[in-house]
Amino acid sequence: MTQPALQVKDLKTQFFTDDGVVQAVDGVSFDLHPGETLGIVGESGCGKSVTALSILRLVQEPGRIVNGQILFKGDDIVTMSDEEVREIRGKDIAMIFQDPLSSLNPVLTVGFQIEEAIEAHGKVPGKMALSRAVALLKQVRIPAAESRVHDYPHQFSGGMRQRAMIAMGLANSPSILIADEPTTALDVTVQAQILELLRDLNRDLKTAIILITHNMGVVASLCTRVLVMYAGRIVEQGPVEQIFKDPQHPYTWSLLQSIPRLDSDRHDRLLSIEGFPPDLIRPPRGCRFHPRCQFKIDRCLHDDPPLLNVGPDQDAACWVTMRRALASNGERRG
Amino acid sequence: MFTRGALLYIGQRLVLIVFTAVAVSSIVFLGVHRLPGDALLNERRPDPAAEAALLHYYHLDLPLPEQYVRYVTGLLHGDLGESYVNRGVQITPLLLREARVSAEVGAAALVFTIGLGVLLGVIAAVRQNTWVDYLATTTSIIGYSMPNFVIASLLFLLFGVALYSWTGGALFYNSGWTGNYGTLDQILVPGFALGFPYASIVARLTRASMLEVIRQDYVRTARAKGLTGRVVIVRHALRNALIPVVTILGPLVIGIVTGSVVIENIFGIPGLGKEFAASILNRDYNIVIGLFTFYAIIIALANLLVDLLYTVIDPRIRY
Repeated sequence: MTQPALQVKDLKTQFFTDDGVVQAVDGVSFDLHPGETLGIVGESGCGKSVTALSILRLVQEPGRIVNGQILFKGDDIVTMSDEEVREIRGKDIAMIFQDPLSSLNPVLTVGFQIEEAIEAHGKVPGKMALSRAVALLKQVRIPAAESRVHDYPHQFSGGMRQRAMIAMGLANSPSILIADEPTTALDVTVQAQILELLRDLNRDLKTAIILITHNMGVVASLCTRVLVMYAGRIVEQGPVEQIFKDPQHPYTWSLLQSIPRLDSDRHDRLLSIEGFPPDLIRPPRGCRFHPRCQFKIDRCLHDDPPLLNVGPDQDAACWVTMRRALASNGERRG
Repeated sequence: MFTRGALLYIGQRLVLIVFTAVAVSSIVFLGVHRLPGDALLNERRPDPAAEAALLHYYHLDLPLPEQYVRYVTGLLHGDLGESYVNRGVQITPLLLREARVSAEVGAAALVFTIGLGVLLGVIAAVRQNTWVDYLATTTSIIGYSMPNFVIASLLFLLFGVALYSWTGGALFYNSGWTGNYGTLDQILVPGFALGFPYASIVARLTRASMLEVIRQDYVRTARAKGLTGRVVIVRHALRNALIPVVTILGPLVIGIVTGSVVIENIFGIPGLGKEFAASILNRDYNIVIGLFTFYAIIIALANLLVDLLYTVIDPRIRY
């Protein structure tokens, strides 16, 4: 096994609000291997974005990383000095965000913002930075890059802005690219193009990608491995095909059930997960998913399940697991 | 730098400014002639023949419409006429000379307004809810609670009395007009008194605007790129935060222009503001009309400048 590119160990990020401490990320651990595409999925507020921001220590006040390690090349990002983290940001680990319009500075040209990313990590003559910016824009397939490099973000379309964001992320050939909902703000055809672009970059440049999304379809089309998060924790993880074919956590199962399918009967009601994500100031005792779980047993109410191996490379934090749940359902029916 | 559309826009605005100047001077011209008394009232009444000669000299014996036409014709040629009190003194060169003095003090005030205001605002925002923020915020509350003449008086006490041995009283223009520019130490104190109240407004606005901008996604992007904290604040946050500040720059310039009337009289600075008060007291109506026109032009130009500044600071705005 190769050395992981990034190791997150027991990460806890909390927000100290007036109403109490929000346990946004509560003991998340995972490894990212070089060149891997890892998806993190979950509902809004499950802690997936905070996990991503924590990796680059970009969590804003009142949020704070209170526990855990984030090991990059053997060094712990959590305990680094600000200057050391700054060196890693944009150079070794780059990040792109959900809404490309608000994520680009409206008063600076796209080219300048890319050049800036290059110059943040070493002196580069202005001309070279410009030609590198043009090359990057070409790489992300922006037409007429030589002239568009001088445009402002508002002169770009939504898809082009996200391409420009990706170009900015690639400026220093990072080994890891974190994409936080990169396609959510885009329409479907453009989404597909952006995903294709990310896939090509992963293949050609061997950049490891952490893709954060709430969209299972996006994960399926890009990732090889997936983490499913619920209420600040990882509830299931494994290879994408495995998880899609044979989900073991009821939450993953419900997520997959709630994807509309073209081949299903139109009169069937689309399955949705009842209830709401829990309050992370006072999370429920036991398994955090139990109030919404249709397969819960008594143990789930007070005993918090750890991540347990449920198949080849597949872990789920559930006392029941879908295999047993569906089997017992079958028995009852039979 | 400017597109054809922008130049056209500037042209239109300049034409409008000419109309504004004519309109303002017309109103003041008519208003002044409705006032009781005239320039001659101040002195011992001359004998009727001499008085008639004086009135004739200033064309005051002509019917009002004719006087008005003469005045506007002169105005359009840049000639504001002659002082009633100081015979032979042409008003246009006099006001231009005094405008230079006022411009110095005004510029110092503007430097304080923008420089100090933005600095206090940024520091307060970056160190939100710390003692630095509270100190900066308190300073600006003091600033906009005090009228400029109170600040001026306090500065007199401080620099002119308490610190006299250090300053040697070098805060004031010579009372006699020397035709020279003031030195830096002569402009700083009046400039501060004039600019500080507005600096406080700018500080408050900058703070609020910065606090909003530093939560924006693009500031997070800038940090994610690995830019240093200073570059993130100055290049990414501040520039966007200044857009609303530019908006109030127009009214601020007007405030400084009008405030200079008070400040110049307190400090004895021979600028437009001092002339303004003197000319009214002397019933030197030609100067009064000329000054109003002058102020109208300055304020109109300042507003035009502010509008152009928008396009420099925010590329989304184009004329």
